[in-house]
Amino acid sequence: MFSLRSVPVKFLWLAAALLIVSPLLIAAQSDPDPNSPTPILVSIEGTPRLLTYQALKSRKHSLLRPLLDFVRPGRLAVMFVANLDLMDGEDANAFRIYARDEKGRSYKFPVVDLAPAPGQPDVYAITFRVKDEIGYWKDPISLGDLVVRLTWRGLSSNELLLGYGSKGGKLEKEKGLKSSSLSDIKTSKVAGTEFETEAIAGVGYKWSGDRLRFLEQATFGPTVDLDARIRRIGLRTWLAEQFEKPYPSPAYPYPNIPLKSTNSDDATLGCGPAPVPTTLEYRVCIRDHYNMYPVQKWFFSEALYGDAQLRHRVAWALAQIWVISGVDIQQSSWMIAYHKVLSQNAFGNYRNLIKDMTLNPGMGDYLDMVRSTRTNPNENYPREILQLFTVGLFELNQDGTLKRDVNNNPIPTYDQNGVNNFTKVFTGWNFCNTGCANSAPGLVNFKDPLVFNAGVTALGNNRHDLTAKTLFNYPGAPNSTIAACTGTCDDTLSSIANYANTSLDQTLDNIFNHPNVGPFVSKTLIQHLVTSDPSPAYVSRVAGVFNNNGLGVRGDLKAVIKAILLDAEARGDAKTDPNFGKLREPVQLLTNLFRHIGVKGAGATGTSDGVVNGQTSALGQSTFSAPTVFNFYPPDNVIPGTALLGPEFALMTTGTSVGRANFANTMVFSQIGISENAPQGTSLDFTELQNLAAADTTSNRLLDVLNQRMMHSTMSPNMRSSILTAVNSIASNNPLQRAKQAVYLVATSSQFQVQR
Amino acid sequence: MKESRRNFLKKSGCALGMGAIATQMNHLGLVNAFAQKSIDDGANPAGDAGYKALVLIYFSGGNDGNNMVIPNHSDATLSNYAAYSAARTTQGLAIPQASLLPISVPAMGGLSYGLHPSFGPIAGQPNNGIHELWGLGKLAVVSNVGTLVAPMTKTQYQQNLVQKPYQLFSHSDQVAQSQTSVANTQAFTGWGGRLSDKMTPLQPSAPNNPLVPMITSIAGAQLFTAGQSTLPMAINDSNTSLANVLNPSGFTNTGGTARKVSFDQLRTYDLNSNYIKAASDVTNLAIQANSALQVTQEVTVTFPNTSLGRQLKQVARLIKERTDLRVQRQVFYCQIGSFDTHTNQLASHTNLFTQFSQAVRAFYDEMGVQGVSESVTTFTMSDFGRTFNPAGSGATVGSDHAWGNHMFVLGGSVQGGNFYGMPTANGTPFPTLTIGAAGPDDTDSNSSARGRWIPTTSVEQYAATLAKWYGLPQDAPTLASVFPNIGNFNTNSSGLNFLI
Repeated sequence: MFSLRSVPVKFLWLAAALLIVSPLLIAAQSDPDPNSPTPILVSIEGTPRLLTYQALKSRKHSLLRPLLDFVRPGRLAVMFVANLDLMDGEDANAFRIYARDEKGRSYKFPVVDLAPAPGQPDVYAITFRVKDEIGYWKDPISLGDLVVRLTWRGLSSNELLLGYGSKGGKLEKEKGLKSSSLSDIKTSKVAGTEFETEAIAGVGYKWSGDRLRFLEQATFGPTVDLDARIRRIGLRTWLAEQFEKPYPSPAYPYPNIPLKSTNSDDATLGCGPAPVPTTLEYRVCIRDHYNMYPVQKWFFSEALYGDAQLRHRVAWALAQIWVISGVDIQQSSWMIAYHKVLSQNAFGNYRNLIKDMTLNPGMGDYLDMVRSTRTNPNENYPREILQLFTVGLFELNQDGTLKRDVNNNPIPTYDQNGVNNFTKVFTGWNFCNTGCANSAPGLVNFKDPLVFNAGVTALGNNRHDLTAKTLFNYPGAPNSTIAACTGTCDDTLSSIANYANTSLDQTLDNIFNHPNVGPFVSKTLIQHLVTSDPSPAYVSRVAGVFNNNGLGVRGDLKAVIKAILLDAEARGDAKTDPNFGKLREPVQLLTNLFRHIGVKGAGATGTSDGVVNGQTSALGQSTFSAPTVFNFYPPDNVIPGTALLGPEFALMTTGTSVGRANFANTMVFSQIGISENAPQGTSLDFTELQNLAAADTTSNRLLDVLNQRMMHSTMSPNMRSSILTAVNSIASNNPLQRAKQAVYLVATSSQFQVQR
Repeated sequence: MKESRRNFLKKSGCALGMGAIATQMNHLGLVNAFAQKSIDDGANPAGDAGYKALVLIYFSGGNDGNNMVIPNHSDATLSNYAAYSAARTTQGLAIPQASLLPISVPAMGGLSYGLHPSFGPIAGQPNNGIHELWGLGKLAVVSNVGTLVAPMTKTQYQQNLVQKPYQLFSHSDQVAQSQTSVANTQAFTGWGGRLSDKMTPLQPSAPNNPLVPMITSIAGAQLFTAGQSTLPMAINDSNTSLANVLNPSGFTNTGGTARKVSFDQLRTYDLNSNYIKAASDVTNLAIQANSALQVTQEVTVTFPNTSLGRQLKQVARLIKERTDLRVQRQVFYCQIGSFDTHTNQLASHTNLFTQFSQAVRAFYDEMGVQGVSESVTTFTMSDFGRTFNPAGSGATVGSDHAWGNHMFVLGGSVQGGNFYGMPTANGTPFPTLTIGAAGPDDTDSNSSARGRWIPTTSVEQYAATLAKWYGLPQDAPTLASVFPNIGNFNTNSSGLNFLI
């Protein structure tokens, strides 16, 4: 499918030089090759055994044949890696070293240092500690060979044997381990020192695998049109275009739902008492006002058809960090007011998001801030704004790894006393039931921001805690304490209001500037968009942008999103690191499948109505209805039986894994039919694929297209041949069934469940 | 043409692709290399020799145990109803004494305590609730249980003389610690999972091996169920029949047979990616269990049509199918949510406790009908207790995050009708309900004290007692491998005696 132009080069830094001089590539210089070179571990000459020895204090590690063929457990050792092309500032935390023993147990060795190997400017020495840092299996039980690999930017090196305490054991006989000594590499005996590109003249973004991978990360799924757009204008221009897109898309405006009484039985301000038997009018009233139905319907319509894909995707990620839930939030109008805060700040500044969300009435209700007063403080919001929305529980380095105390224990960012102090600040706000744009008698105003001391007219009824507060105290912390409101401060309600509002801003500044916020927010957003277990270097690069967008501004989300999506670890046609990628959450599984194939209504013509939440709900993700403030899945979820971060795997059980297959079965072989609440229904549009299957009875073309679209061209030969056999078991005069067969098998495969 | 980089990647991928992580698919206990003794070595319960099940009902969100079990006496030497009322009546959080369901407690000198009224008969509900089981000696309370690294007094807490559980009062961390039983460091496995790791090899090996995993969750993936070699089965509640609960539909139309072949084949490819492998492992487990679940199995007793009712009904169906599934030991995880009652606690509790009481009583009765009362022990856990001092006041009153909490244990093997647990400062298992400096069990002494009880019985002691009944070998290495900090608790470390 590709026309390849292989450029043989010895080392990628030469390739970089070539890029500059090649006239063919000048037109695309704003879109450099997204593919990083593949790291190569250096072996001992003629054996598949890692060249390694105990680390030297001098750090002058040369490529000498070591005296011993093994490293000592617990000690520092050194390995050599070739074929790197380091960016400025890229250091030891960009690399991860994994080892496995003959039982298949996995270990991770901490990387301590990175330095050029003396006398070999092409090669780097990596110092690592021969000590598992995951702690899942502790250390290898027995001495003998391990198999090690190194990963960098989502790419895996070759694997080599490493003697752990001694050499020998079953792994020595493992097939596929090959010598990769320096002379092998220099004489091109080791593959991987070449790169490919499409020989297409003209401008544009040529890396088709990477284009589709990018769209998987930045949207609710690639489409043919989006792919063509990026091919023409490149990633950066597309991002700039998306930053300016009107939102919501003009065709899918936010549902305009009025506030209703909190008592749905209310005859004038609610839906009235339920008639027996119930009427359509009543059912629709409840559905549209006292249910998340209109929000979900709108959300999926924008995801499936909207143009403002990036903002919608980022707002969805933020909605899974700043969680409120229809489990408690009664009305769709309240949820829409909350979503507007997310979407309006998605390309804005995180500090504004913090403030707007703190005063959002839905959040205020969900986490009880509206009920927190001087005399009856409530810790719910203060605790969660710190733990879940901004700093997290433990002090972090900029690269997202835990800081440790002298006893190697993580350092809590705050304790109960801290929570008590922050709680005082958040006392006294309430709904704006009079005097705001949406205030109306008999209604709770869930649309306008909370206001301070709402309805309080007597000084003695002030609801704000006026005592002093102790906040975070980190180097350079603004407002680490807030003085008590005394003297003239507490003389009038208006002076108290000034104090409280100033205190709130001071406190939010104190939180926002905490050094944890950059890595905490960056890592969580990376997990939502790109990969579940990003390298510390990746987190650090993004957090660096969060801390300063280059113009001295902290918290610029536009810059953060660009940094996440354009990072070397995110980009490239394919990733080989075994720990790269993420399980598609049910929402992404559904929208990606629908957009890959094409989605329409259940009738002969027309679009889907977006009433598809029932499908993701069955898989554990009912949108805007997370079970708790901890979202549908926790960011630190570890896959059972491994030590690998996999947040979305909290939704992957025996039950839902079959549910995912049954979802595909429903959509491929059936549809979501038209019903009272689904006026148009939803079905997949197989027209194009059916034509492909009819035109090429070998089904190769069908598989090519599905491979390119759904797997961004990473389908393995095994997978392709298995599906091809199943497809061709169906008579060639039934091209529709052939197309469905192929789509079902790709859609249900674990290979497609994972965004990689 | 020279070898392209893409091809190299594929090749190296194959070479690398032996699976960097351990093979967790110790499928359904087939691996039996370490089986040195039979699971039947321990005493078997009457009724159904050889079968035992632990059923965890997790109160998600942090249950306010202070309003679940309440002093109902006026004895001045122990915290009495007046002490309770003094702390909770003004803000409207106290349960009226007249409405309490009285229980007599030998461990408290025979004094009367009271259960929340929702645990009794409720009009329109299918059964009499669990209060009745107290009198029958089948319901016990384990008092003041919580996460601990080691025993800890108030002084030790305040002066940091003993290591505290990390991130006390935080939901996610306390959930993790209660489900892993490990409070000093992050753990990747739950105590249910580790218990299954140790017990699974004691079950018969192929061809008589169990056909489903030892652990089943009816409430999604839970840390409690994750072991090193145990992968849990997770299924939906009884709204889905056993035959359909893990059944991939389709495969009957044109091309279906070939589709199924490829569907199964694809899970054997591309396992060099740990994420793809993890997804395939879970699906493999589901497909295998599915063939064993192609049965119709219905319960006799009427279960309430609530979330917990449906979960326990599904558990009851599986237990009824135990012989054909060839299981001798099972652990079940069920969950009932929304206990994070910062506000509106009274209404929430009434609803949740009624749901719990009705569902659990139906389950208890069904176990009786199935003849396995003595084989099945049901127990509760929660994130943490809640502040004795209310949060807010009036109609929306609630409570905040705290620590020590009360648990229910019930079943035919429970020595019910009593409180259990290590003694608090007052010498009984029940904490002193006094806030601040004068309260020996409160964490704080200053003005910010809210009545957060320092636990006296650790989650590990509670869990180890249940595990001992379940048949976990009691040699020190085995015990420590399931409960790593149990050695820090020197008394009754695996026997609080609430189980026969």
